[in-house]
Amino acid sequence: MTVASQVKQVLATLKGSQGTIRLYAAQAQEEETRAVYDEAMETTTEIIHDLEKRLSVLEYEEPHYKGN
Amino acid sequence: MNAWVQVLIKSVSILILLLAVVRLMGKRNIASITPFHMVGYITIAVLAALVSTNVITNPALGLIPLGVWVISIIGLEYLALKSKWAHDFIYGKETVLIEHGRVMEQSLLKARLTGDELLRMLRTKNAFSLADVEFAVLEATGDFSVFLKSDKKPATARDLNIKIAPLAEPQTVILDGNILNDPLASLGLARDWLGTELEKLGVSLNNVFVAQVDSSGELYVDLFDDSTQNPQPKVREMLYAGLEKSQADLMSFALETQSKSAKAMYTKNAEKLEELLKILKPYLLK
Repeated sequence: MTVASQVKQVLATLKGSQGTIRLYAAQAQEEETRAVYDEAMETTTEIIHDLEKRLSVLEYEEPHYKGN
Repeated sequence: MNAWVQVLIKSVSILILLLAVVRLMGKRNIASITPFHMVGYITIAVLAALVSTNVITNPALGLIPLGVWVISIIGLEYLALKSKWAHDFIYGKETVLIEHGRVMEQSLLKARLTGDELLRMLRTKNAFSLADVEFAVLEATGDFSVFLKSDKKPATARDLNIKIAPLAEPQTVILDGNILNDPLASLGLARDWLGTELEKLGVSLNNVFVAQVDSSGELYVDLFDDSTQNPQPKVREMLYAGLEKSQADLMSFALETQSKSAKAMYTKNAEKLEELLKILKPYLLK
């Protein structure tokens, strides 16, 4: 497995987790709980953003693996 | 007039009168009333019985003492509400039996309790050793309250420095296979949501005996069919595991990569995720 596809896998996991967190944030009854999930949303968004940037660099470096 | 007609009329009217009187005297747990209240209640009951069974033939002679007792009890209660002194005088004061871990023998004598009885009362409060008790008091109602030494008290999450997610009371949304609409609405959830959740668990509505939703939106179900295990959602644990795995992956990327800037980015994000996992732990792992 190439580095790019490994990064892609982590990205997929993080995006899936983010979806679940979003659901919990919507369901939460207490203000405090919602704040925690909102913070989690923000952090994961930042990480996903960074990883996507890195991924485009990787795909540029290994163009023959693009799409894997 | 026949005697039995008299008894019938009196009984019915006393019954209605007493219903009103009991309502007037307010709510009180019968197990924890003061001796004064008990005497009052018994007197009122006996007077009512005597009038209704025609032992007191002249109704006025029965109703006057009944009225005096009821009015004075209500009056004294009102007085007790207004003045602390009157309250202590009418209901009696609590007696401190153990203070700073020492038994107050004088108070014990005043409350007419033997040491044996004191130990028995302590045992009912789960204090088997006198050494564990800091303070114990005999309430005016006869209840016994025990304050344990601080190192003998059950540890709370705060004592252990554990962060715990706040949880409000759960709502029951299914009972006997029927969806209860009001609790569902109070959580801001729709019937469709419940349908999807049940589908996720793979159970049908008419197989559910009880289903509750906690304030974090998690559904717990108990099935009619006791031979199968109750399916419980594992989404939270899965979410935590997924994030944990991502964190570990980021760490290994940081180790593997040649590029300096990428290394810094991976390390920074791995740290961020670790921080997040710490915050989420009480919410996701219970």
